[in-house]
Amino acid sequence: MEFLDPAIHQPARLKIMAALCQLKPDERVDFSYLKDNLGLTDGNLGAHLSTLEGKGYIAVEKTFVARRPKTFVSVTPEGRQAFTSHVQALQAILAQK
Amino acid sequence: MNISQEEAANALGEIEASRTAMRAVIRNHRGHLYLWLWGSIWIVNSLLNGWSSARFWNTTNWITLAGLLATAAIIVMQRRQVRSRLDRRFVAVCGTLLVFGYGVWPFVLGGIHSYTAAYAFGMLIWMQVYVVAGIWFDNYWLWIGLVVAALILAGFLLFPGAFWAFSLLGGATLLGTGFYVRLCWR
Repeated sequence: MEFLDPAIHQPARLKIMAALCQLKPDERVDFSYLKDNLGLTDGNLGAHLSTLEGKGYIAVEKTFVARRPKTFVSVTPEGRQAFTSHVQALQAILAQK
Repeated sequence: MNISQEEAANALGEIEASRTAMRAVIRNHRGHLYLWLWGSIWIVNSLLNGWSSARFWNTTNWITLAGLLATAAIIVMQRRQVRSRLDRRFVAVCGTLLVFGYGVWPFVLGGIHSYTAAYAFGMLIWMQVYVVAGIWFDNYWLWIGLVVAALILAGFLLFPGAFWAFSLLGGATLLGTGFYVRLCWR
C-alpha cells in the first residue's frame, strides 16, 4: 500500500519535486531559474528546499560563477524514489471507488 | 495522512503543470543552439566554397572562428542555468579523436592534397565526435554523426562534382535536427 509523504505533499514542495525529477540524474538547476519557473520568492523557495534537503530528497550545491555566488539544486535518488511513491499513492487514491 | 480524491486530483494536476513547465526549461538547454549555429555556418561555408574555394578560404576560416567563440558563449550561458556534471572521460575521448584526426592521420595518409579533401576530412573528424557524444549522451548526436558522415563521404567519393551540395545538406541536417530537438525532444 502506498503512503503519502507529508514532506512532499505541501503544494510548493510538490511542484519543486515534480520539476526536479524531470532533470537527468547528473543535471542540476540554478536556484534563481527554479524560483522564476515555479513562481516562488527567494525565502519561500529557500525554506522548502531546506525541508527537502533535510529529508535527503534533494542536494543543494553552492558555487561561484564569474565571482558571483550561485546555488544549484538537484534531486537525489532517494528523493526521486520518494516522489515516485508519492505520485503512485495519489493515483491509487484517485482510482478508489 | 488522508486526503480526498479531489485533493489527489488537484495535486496530480499541479505535478503535471510543474513537469510541463520544467520540460520547456530543459528543452532550452539541449543541443539545438549548437546545431543551429554550426548548421548555419556549415551551409554558409558550403555555399561560399562551392562558389569559389580559393577566393573564400580566409573568409570561411573567420566564420568558423566566430562560430567557435559563439559556441563558448552558449556554453557559458547555459551552464549558468542548468548544469550537467562534466565527464572528463568524454572530454578525453573527444580530445584524443581530434588529436589523432588532425595531427596523426594526415601524416599517416601522406597528407591531404586538395581543399575539398581537407574540408571533408575535417568534417568527418567532427562527426566522429558527434557519434561519441551520441553514445555518451542523447542519441540524436549519434544519428547526426552517422548521417552527415555518410553525406560527406557520398559527396567526396561518389559525386565529387556536387560535393558542396552534399556538404550543404550536412549543414541542413544539423539545422533541422536543432529544430527537432528544440520542439519535440523529451
